[in-house]
Amino acid sequence: MAATTESVKADAAEAPLLNKRNMILGIAIYCVFYAWVRWYEGVYGWSAGMDSFAPEFETYWMNFLYIEFVLEVSTAGILWGYLWKSRDRKVMSITPREELRRHFNHWIWLMMYATAIYFGASYFTEQDGTWHQTIVRDTDFTPSHVIEFYLSYPVYIITGGAAFLYAKTRLPTYQQGNSIQYMVATVGPFMILPNVGLNEWGHTFWFMEELFVAPLHYGFVFFGWSALGVLGVLNIEISALAKLLKKDLA
Amino acid sequence: MSASQSAVRSRAEAVKVSRTLDWMIMFTLFFVILGGYHVHFMLVAGDWDFWSDWKDRRLWVTVLPIMGITFPAAVQAVLWWRYRIAFGATLCVLGLLLGEWVNRYFNFWGWTYFPVNFVFPSQLVPGAIVLDVVLLVSGSMQLTAVVGGLGFGLLFYPGNWPVMAPLHLPVEYNGMMMTLADLSGYHYVRTGMPEYIRMVEKGTLRTFGKDVAPVSAFFSGFVSIIVYFVWHFFGRWFGSTAFTKGS
Repeated sequence: MAATTESVKADAAEAPLLNKRNMILGIAIYCVFYAWVRWYEGVYGWSAGMDSFAPEFETYWMNFLYIEFVLEVSTAGILWGYLWKSRDRKVMSITPREELRRHFNHWIWLMMYATAIYFGASYFTEQDGTWHQTIVRDTDFTPSHVIEFYLSYPVYIITGGAAFLYAKTRLPTYQQGNSIQYMVATVGPFMILPNVGLNEWGHTFWFMEELFVAPLHYGFVFFGWSALGVLGVLNIEISALAKLLKKDLA
Repeated sequence: MSASQSAVRSRAEAVKVSRTLDWMIMFTLFFVILGGYHVHFMLVAGDWDFWSDWKDRRLWVTVLPIMGITFPAAVQAVLWWRYRIAFGATLCVLGLLLGEWVNRYFNFWGWTYFPVNFVFPSQLVPGAIVLDVVLLVSGSMQLTAVVGGLGFGLLFYPGNWPVMAPLHLPVEYNGMMMTLADLSGYHYVRTGMPEYIRMVEKGTLRTFGKDVAPVSAFFSGFVSIIVYFVWHFFGRWFGSTAFTKGS
């Protein structure tokens, strides 16, 4: 009886398998932040974002760009550094329950990555198309680019890197090496950012607004395919979770 | 880690854990695939999908199914062939449509003020349902590629026709005959107005009288078959679980 009471107390004190607060908060942060960003675009895109030689462009858009550069580099450094520094050096000796708890945490990271990918690859990328069909560009740092290329892409790169590092430093499943498809799913979308260089180079030399479907953009397409690497991650995770749960579900 | 220990305390907890993970996985898959599929689609077929004056009876009908069948084929290759989940194609297309509708409303309309009936996305759901149903009923990748792929191409135009028909009505404007969609395009000037409308349909061949859409749809269906095969194997590769050698 005493042993049972102790066990119940231990259960009550134990952290839940799924930290719902972190899951909801993680996704909500992206949604609220990007809602504010969209409001900012709506107001200052038209009032200060059409002429890159105007002083207000410097105030509202170039300063936004400089601030986001600083914040992104520091966020990546702190987050990735923390995940690496606090890695579990005895990851192969954790209990199955702890492993399951970490898989849940890993899936919270992946859900945040999915949210970041949605805003970057879908929402702000197609938005860029309609902005350029409306306003003739005179700079690489148009309002849509300041948000799309230099904010939403770094955000999903930072999130993807964090998900990968979490798996690599805390889950036994990922200790046998580096998952090729996990690297494809995180490094591939990352490569979209360097491909911006090709994009800006082309737009400097040719006027090509009449076609979003242009060969100059195919680098984005190629690296966009790599999002499908998530299918490989799914298969690895399902195998790992099946090993943890199979006998209890049988 | 001890193999004798269990990760869960009871069968009921195991079931709950499994169901919870299903939802987390579905959320992740849906939005990652949405992002990848949308960036692919907007940059290989986007112009024909953005504007109703680009939705013609030749290139719109040809290009969109060919470029649209890619991700459904890849996702089916994992969801069906590993898990017997039969809605891979529909999942992809619903994701794409959600991404497009959100964009067309909040950005095309909400930021740059194009009317929604000028920028609504194309309909791909009927073709996706056919792909899933053929795979479910036949269990055959070849049959899905041939019958489903052809269906994906053939159904595109009729699937969109109810929405597009009113915009293809003829109007006379300043002595010129054009469609209502063309007229919308002239009123909503864009930075690079395409010469597109004057570039298409220069050929004289009219085997089926005035109707060139069926020819486009059949050609699109044939190419969709090939693209399905190729992307099925892409999907298998993306679903692989290989690791690099550990240190």
